[in-house]
Amino acid sequence: MLKVNDLHKSYQLGKATYEVLKGVSFEIKKGEFVAVMGPSGSGKTTLLNCISCYIPADKGSIMLGKTQLASLDQEQLAMVRNKELGFVFQDFLLLDGLSVRDNILLPAIIGGSVDGETERRADELCRVFGISEIREKYPAEISGGEKQRTAVARALINRPMLILADEPTGNLDSKSSRAVIDSFLQAKRAMGATIFMVTHDSFAASFCDRAIILRDGQVWRSLERGDMDRTAFQDALLDSVREMGRE
Amino acid sequence: MKNFTEVYAQLRRRSLKQYGLLTGCCFFSVLLITAYACMMRSPTILNVLPEGGDSRKQVMMVFVLAVIGCAVFTLYAASLFFRYKSRETGIFLALGASRSLLRRQLMGELALIALTACGAGAVLGGPLALGLWQLFRLTVVDTEEMALSFDLESYGAALAFSAFVIGALFILGRRSVSKTNIIDVVQESRKSEPIHDVPRWYGWGGIAMLALGGFLGYIAPMVFIRGLHWYPPEGLTAIFYLPALAGLYMILLHTVVNGWSKRKHRYKNIISTSMMKFQGRQTVNNMLVMTVLIAGAFFAGFYTPMLGTGAMMGYDSRPVDYAYFYRNDQKIPGKAQVRQLAEDYGVNLSFWAEVPMIRLAVDGEYDVESEGPMGTSYEVKYSEQMQSKLFLSESSYEALTGESIELEPGHIAAIMDSTGSGQGIFGGNAGVVTNYITGEKYYVNSDMELRNDVLFGRYVCDDSDFEKMAQGLPDAWRETMVFFNVENCEESYDFAKALFNAIVDASGPEVEQYDAWDPVVRDREIRESGEYFMDAYAPDYGQRDSSDFRLYWKYMPQFRVLDKADFVRTMAVFLMLFIFIAIVCFAAVYVIAFTRCMTIALNNSRVYEDMAKLGASKAYLFRSVRNQIVKVFSVPSVTGTSLIYAFYAMIMYFNDSRLTLTELAGMGVCLLLVAAVSVITWLIYCLTLKKVCAALKI
Repeated sequence: MLKVNDLHKSYQLGKATYEVLKGVSFEIKKGEFVAVMGPSGSGKTTLLNCISCYIPADKGSIMLGKTQLASLDQEQLAMVRNKELGFVFQDFLLLDGLSVRDNILLPAIIGGSVDGETERRADELCRVFGISEIREKYPAEISGGEKQRTAVARALINRPMLILADEPTGNLDSKSSRAVIDSFLQAKRAMGATIFMVTHDSFAASFCDRAIILRDGQVWRSLERGDMDRTAFQDALLDSVREMGRE
Repeated sequence: MKNFTEVYAQLRRRSLKQYGLLTGCCFFSVLLITAYACMMRSPTILNVLPEGGDSRKQVMMVFVLAVIGCAVFTLYAASLFFRYKSRETGIFLALGASRSLLRRQLMGELALIALTACGAGAVLGGPLALGLWQLFRLTVVDTEEMALSFDLESYGAALAFSAFVIGALFILGRRSVSKTNIIDVVQESRKSEPIHDVPRWYGWGGIAMLALGGFLGYIAPMVFIRGLHWYPPEGLTAIFYLPALAGLYMILLHTVVNGWSKRKHRYKNIISTSMMKFQGRQTVNNMLVMTVLIAGAFFAGFYTPMLGTGAMMGYDSRPVDYAYFYRNDQKIPGKAQVRQLAEDYGVNLSFWAEVPMIRLAVDGEYDVESEGPMGTSYEVKYSEQMQSKLFLSESSYEALTGESIELEPGHIAAIMDSTGSGQGIFGGNAGVVTNYITGEKYYVNSDMELRNDVLFGRYVCDDSDFEKMAQGLPDAWRETMVFFNVENCEESYDFAKALFNAIVDASGPEVEQYDAWDPVVRDREIRESGEYFMDAYAPDYGQRDSSDFRLYWKYMPQFRVLDKADFVRTMAVFLMLFIFIAIVCFAAVYVIAFTRCMTIALNNSRVYEDMAKLGASKAYLFRSVRNQIVKVFSVPSVTGTSLIYAFYAMIMYFNDSRLTLTELAGMGVCLLLVAAVSVITWLIYCLTLKKVCAALKI
């Protein structure tokens, strides 16, 4: 599904060069829910931005399905973002001038494929994520959790291969965070969605199938949930974080 | 919603304020520039402003300032708009919209905004100019000269400016979609342009630079012209003003970032100061444009009070109520006819003096211009017959003025103005005097100066010399000067008007000449270059009430009551034009200030909400808003006004190395104008503050 191989990325700040990603490699299978964790500055968001092709990588490759993303031109990349990827951002990035329903439909509208079926799908997503009651409201009129569930529904409208989520619970209270995580789980269960989530939050990550822990721009550890229950997996994640802190 | 165009339209409907701000700014800037251009290129104005004259240069200079100001604030409004739109653009790109799709939508939208705003501005600019002008005619003064006509060419300037606005919108719009980093595009709307460290010496350093630039810019043309005998291109001398612009920028930076007060109460205005610093570059750029426009507006605005005060004081200080002179070959009304006319109008003459004058050639230096690869330069040549001047005998002078003077034969006295100045046009230092008809030459000493506003520019000589030098002169070279007073001068307007008409009616075509026309200069020019340029111009007896005639006819009588009463009528076009320019500039300033203040509300609404959540009272929030808005209005107003006031004072001083009473009085009246404008500015500040507080729900 997603194969990242030896990814490098650096930033130039004045005369200094900061290497943020130093050869990151991993693979994600279809239907997997993967969290990327790590301390601030470890390269989580940069990794996500490279996979989204929002910023170009310096070196390495990203394969989405059978497509090598680096080889695509701007128009093709736009097509991939629209059809194959779904995005959920920490600060939602909903358009204030559109209703909840129109925000959800936006990727389909951009892709030029809105028909009765798409509209029914948007309504179904609203129902699945518990936002049917507010679908005619505008973002300014709904809560943070509702905004993020709207963003998740938007990410799913085009049935993408992969959902990329950047700190989706970062701006939410615990109740809203749980609702958003539930919506990811629901998307995975009901639609077989593959989710790649960057997070600081061990609670959110504990719902995933796997957690990739980054440190100083490299994969420090990859933890499989396997048969562990959620609490045990969260403990394992916290142990890893503590261990990383001791080193 | 089914398609992307509908999404765009929906977003547009929900962002009408932003669209309105951009459309309004584009419309307003094109409207002002069109109105200004229509006025500036109007034949009505061009007929009155002498070609190559200072007035026309001033109008052009302020026009350039207005164009720069309007261009900058249009760009500012556009950058605000694209910053606002960048979040939408970033989200669309992140969700897979192609740049070409976004570009198409945005360009369509911009085309609509730009063409509507610029079209409406260009179409309404002319009617605005006409409307304002008609308002002046209705409420202030109306003369035949003021009938306004437009030249279609003026729309060229409107079209050029519209093209700039449309081009700028398209370029900025295209750039906003073309950024490659999508994260940057999304973040663009939150980007601020803070100014960090500004050394405190920027304040006084800026003032020093400003003073230096103002001085250099003013003095540079004199150095080129008087020192190097070279007329530099205007763009070159303008470069010398650049330190002033840099100084102004430094002052504004210091004011916004550091402030002028000592840091005793650092925390008192910390919120408003930090907010302004956070948007520092935009704030300072806006303030700079406003300052320059205010300076331009006052430069135009000061024209009327300076001219009016100077003229009125000049009329009042004249030593005689009525003065006129004429060539002796003209059949101009003499004492009997004037007395008869006075009786007809119930006016009593209280004093009458009528003396002969003769026109003689005097020596001096003149400029011979030549064109070279560097432009126009000139060399100074001496001629014993450089120009002609009128001479009176000492007894005639005494008869006219009552002043007794003693001049030895061979000595002459130059008559300067009442302040002793030659006004830069009369040196009063003739050494050789020639009877131009007989060729008889007299060497004289100009070692005495007299003062008289009415007789300014003439010479007085010893009675016996006068007799000798007058011999052989025909009537065309002999003139008569008449002084008389009347009882109740202030009530003799009708008589003055009738006498003026009688004098003009009696004057023949041979004296239908401008003041600058000189028979001696004419002969020399024809000898040297085959033509005399002043032969191509002549005042028109039929337009005797026009400013052109009243200001420049060679034999224009000086009747105190007529001149005072007709001053506004005579100078109407000048006065109203400069008032119009000031209004246009101030309108631009107020729109910029209002726009800037409203963006404070739009950009910082979240901060104010957060401060309210942190427990800030309404009064505290109000103070914070007010501090910012006060700065937006007051800093450019104080700086621009002080700047132009000091510059005006400098011009007045360097005219003749002193400030005369008339100039000081004029500057005093200018202060009244400043006070009046300050009241209007204050009212607009209050309105803006109210609007911003309403937008922030404070």
